[in-house]
Amino acid sequence: MILTRWRNMTTQERRDAKTGYLALSPWMVGFAVFFAFPILATFYFSLTQWTLVDPPVWVGLANYARMFTRDPLFLSSLKATTLFVVLSLPLKLVLGLMLALLLNLKIPGMNVFRTVFFIPAVISGVAVSLMWIWFLNPDTGVVNTLLHYVGVQGPYWFWDKDWALPSVAIMSIWKVGGAAIIYLAGLQNIPAHLYEAAEIDGAGKWRRFWRITLPLLTPTLFFQLIIELIDAFKIFTEAFVITKGGPLKATYFFLYYFYEEAFRNFNMGYASALALFLLVVIMGCTVLVYRTSGRWVYYEN
Amino acid sequence: MKHLIGRRALVLVSLLLLLLGSVGGAGAQDPVTITWWTLASAESPEPAIRAVVEAFEAEHPNIKVDVTIMAESAYGDLMNTTIGAGEGAPDIAYFWETPWLPHTLDITDRLEADPDLSRDDYFEEYFNNWAVYNGRVVGLPFTVGANFVMYNKDVFDEAGVDYPTADWTPWEYIEIATALTDPDKRRWGGDRPRGPFRAIWRNIGATKPYSDDSATVEGYINGPDAVAAYTWLWDLVDSGATPTPADIEVLGTEGTGPVDLFIAGRLGMATLNNGHMITAANAGVNFGVVPEPHVPDNERFVHAWALRASIWAGTEHPDEAYEFLSFWAGPEGQRINMEIGALMPSLPAVLEDYPDAEADYFQGFMGVLNATQTAEWRATHPCWRGAVIRAVSDAWDLIMLGEIERDEVQATLDAMVEPGQAALDECVPRLGG
Repeated sequence: MILTRWRNMTTQERRDAKTGYLALSPWMVGFAVFFAFPILATFYFSLTQWTLVDPPVWVGLANYARMFTRDPLFLSSLKATTLFVVLSLPLKLVLGLMLALLLNLKIPGMNVFRTVFFIPAVISGVAVSLMWIWFLNPDTGVVNTLLHYVGVQGPYWFWDKDWALPSVAIMSIWKVGGAAIIYLAGLQNIPAHLYEAAEIDGAGKWRRFWRITLPLLTPTLFFQLIIELIDAFKIFTEAFVITKGGPLKATYFFLYYFYEEAFRNFNMGYASALALFLLVVIMGCTVLVYRTSGRWVYYEN
Repeated sequence: MKHLIGRRALVLVSLLLLLLGSVGGAGAQDPVTITWWTLASAESPEPAIRAVVEAFEAEHPNIKVDVTIMAESAYGDLMNTTIGAGEGAPDIAYFWETPWLPHTLDITDRLEADPDLSRDDYFEEYFNNWAVYNGRVVGLPFTVGANFVMYNKDVFDEAGVDYPTADWTPWEYIEIATALTDPDKRRWGGDRPRGPFRAIWRNIGATKPYSDDSATVEGYINGPDAVAAYTWLWDLVDSGATPTPADIEVLGTEGTGPVDLFIAGRLGMATLNNGHMITAANAGVNFGVVPEPHVPDNERFVHAWALRASIWAGTEHPDEAYEFLSFWAGPEGQRINMEIGALMPSLPAVLEDYPDAEADYFQGFMGVLNATQTAEWRATHPCWRGAVIRAVSDAWDLIMLGEIERDEVQATLDAMVEPGQAALDECVPRLGG
């Protein structure tokens, strides 16, 4: 079919097509080398037992059988990751939007605030984790010290089995400035005349937010939802630096389990199976969100 | 015609001889280059590494060393990749992961034939644990590290408590820690072990997490010795004489131990290592060193480590690589690192010349170096570190968090048997016992 189309093209069309493909080729090569091949290789390795330094040994579906039938850590890590997604995702979406609304106010020096709030988004995750260890130290941390001043005994945060996961979720708010900047771009694309017309019609601030801002911001919200969803499933650094998956596996996230299997347990075959499972979960969630988008995302065109 | 053929043959033979001569001459003149991947640290800083190369090349003009000083974060990945690919790995490197060991050159015969270096030159336990794998010599131990208890003499004097001695018991440790604890001064008497099955575990009844043949967990992880060890931990946590894991995490140094708390006088005793010992000495702390406590009449164990300096099995220059390895990890190389850096050599004859060797605390440190090492659980039991410890860690966490009662220790350990056995069964066929 492609060949038939090619034959039916004029010389100019063929020349245009060649130019198009040439322009696309860097991306196509990059996609093939850095995405398609690694994914295919991961699939192959997931069917093997591989210690990284010795040749892989074909084991068929044994890794998947272990994962779904007799690996309690698989379930623990899946549970911890899902809980984290459920806790952190709404928090980041809502707070990001609230921060963007504040940063959209027309007051002097706003660019300074925007820069300040964006900085955490570009700081190394390890540095941020180390800082939060200090913030949330039960004995000497700033949070518990402030709570102590108001007569509240703060929890053990990362070192408490019930608080460890919420602590990591709270910590993820730190990077909300990055999301706020995207929301801000969306906010600034909303035509000012809509607000002016609504104001003339007597609509209050709250009504304008619900009837204009939020509907017109839904494409940005949709984008943020997908990005934050994927980001939340990839939670790793906090567990690696702060909690080591504990206490009592409360923060034993999926990628941390993957890391331990691959690089501490030299079980790259099984780690590959875990990675593919996570890929399927993320793709499934993304497709689900995408399917619902027709009902709540508003595109002017 | 015959004459012509004879002349041509003569010219041909002459050319051939000339060619062979030039090749042979080049081989004799051009030095062999060997590659060395290493890491810089306070113990072995870059100037020491360069000085080792310089001294070696001066002594061996026919061998050049192409050294690459790497970041630790990249080292493991590069070793995995190159060893796995079977090409590109360095001739000499630290082979610290167990799966790398089958890819090291067996230097048993070379070491035996070496007139200048012998296994007896090294601390015996370090050599046996870090240089020998499955009965073959796979490298040489470079530097020594060990855990021991450092006690702050000023804190002891202030509390009117006698200094600990080498024959103290784990239960005396709790008593002393309790006596030193002073909540008003925000001071704890002693720290907590930071992982199971280090020396303190072996010293309470020679506990092991599973059988020596890596087959059975039942009766080991939940055996009477393990129950005694975990109950001791429960008592220690319950005493309130130790900082919480959160405090140790925050106030420890690089995750290696609470030396900052110790130096600040907020910890009367701490299980630290020789790097911390030098840090405390440089900070002017008045302290002593004793081995970790153990049950009387039982063998004494110490948690210890070394770096394993090895030759890659795929090297094209095994003789030259051995020459360099025996220099770098032998007396000359380790002495250079001791003098320029702060390396504590794995050779007693060299370590005796350490600048602080005469100090009391250093003598205490020297005292632990010949004890039996628990390093075996890391050095030759790969499944412990990667799989089993993770499967049974809940028992440790539950006690650390104060989540169980003292009489629940046995039941908690019983519950660890199934996940521990499953982890062992999965791992052993893959990585070996």
